[in-house]
Amino acid sequence: MTQSIPLDAIDRKIIEHLRTHGRASNQQIAELLGLTATTVSSRIRRMEEANQLRVVAVSDFSAHGFNCLMRVMVEVDGRPASQVAAALAEFPEVFATHLVTGRYDIDMLVALHGLEDLPGLLLDKFSQVDGIRALVPSVVVDIVKYQFDVAPIEAKS
Amino acid sequence: MALVQIDELDRELITLLSRDARVSNRKVASELGVTEGTVRGRIKRLQQDGLIAFTAITSFNTIDRSRLAFISVQADVQRVREIAREIADMPLINAVMITMGQFNILALCLFDELDYLIELASDRILAIAGVQHIETSIAVKTLKYNARMARITARAIQEDDEEAA
Repeated sequence: MTQSIPLDAIDRKIIEHLRTHGRASNQQIAELLGLTATTVSSRIRRMEEANQLRVVAVSDFSAHGFNCLMRVMVEVDGRPASQVAAALAEFPEVFATHLVTGRYDIDMLVALHGLEDLPGLLLDKFSQVDGIRALVPSVVVDIVKYQFDVAPIEAKS
Repeated sequence: MALVQIDELDRELITLLSRDARVSNRKVASELGVTEGTVRGRIKRLQQDGLIAFTAITSFNTIDRSRLAFISVQADVQRVREIAREIADMPLINAVMITMGQFNILALCLFDELDYLIELASDRILAIAGVQHIETSIAVKTLKYNARMARITARAIQEDDEEAA
């Protein structure tokens, strides 16, 4: 695992600007923060190489044809929850899988093209994974806020 | 939800930019075999339609608030939209969804100190009129999270940037 590097105030200012202006040029960022374009470029590269920053295009669920989101909570029985979660995370429809504390063991977010995909996903895919005692799905009917810019960062391929 | 019209070139463009948004239009154009003008025009249209946004994603160890909590809320059904909006306006809340099922609101929160989470969940959310019950769970391990896909809101859309290179 890559060692994380300490970030200073300038790094944080660069990140803050990139949050809303991901394609701002190094020159634009440099002028705004009173730096040189070379400094901006090397600081971004340094944070990227430490796997602490990615500047990317985030696309809307609808751009992928996903018109239906679901939250699925899972109760595990007779198998380590981390194994069940790893098996569930293999399904491409699942875009978030977390092991959680509390009444349920796994909390997932799932994206579907439409509600017609639900029976196949729940009955033929999720239910066939060993170690699941109960699946508690709930359909997301509205997204009021969605601000996710913190995530596990995979090494660059 | 409005039906989205995007073609194969849009999809290729999205895939390419989701790996690294700071590549030049020139490089994107040569990789996709189209002109720079086409790349510029397509990016602009996808941004205007709210289908893509360019942003910085940082790892959990980069920011101070590095723990994720799921706050499940049972709220008065007649006031669920107002209550969801009220929760969304709270500072530590990253996402709020209205759901159908055992709970009707799911709020996600990034926090650092347990005290913050307790204050937020028990003192603020539970105190909202119409909130009957909450259950808070903490993510102890993230096995999968695709941050390249999201609900893009008006706030995130910026169109005035030049290309990065």
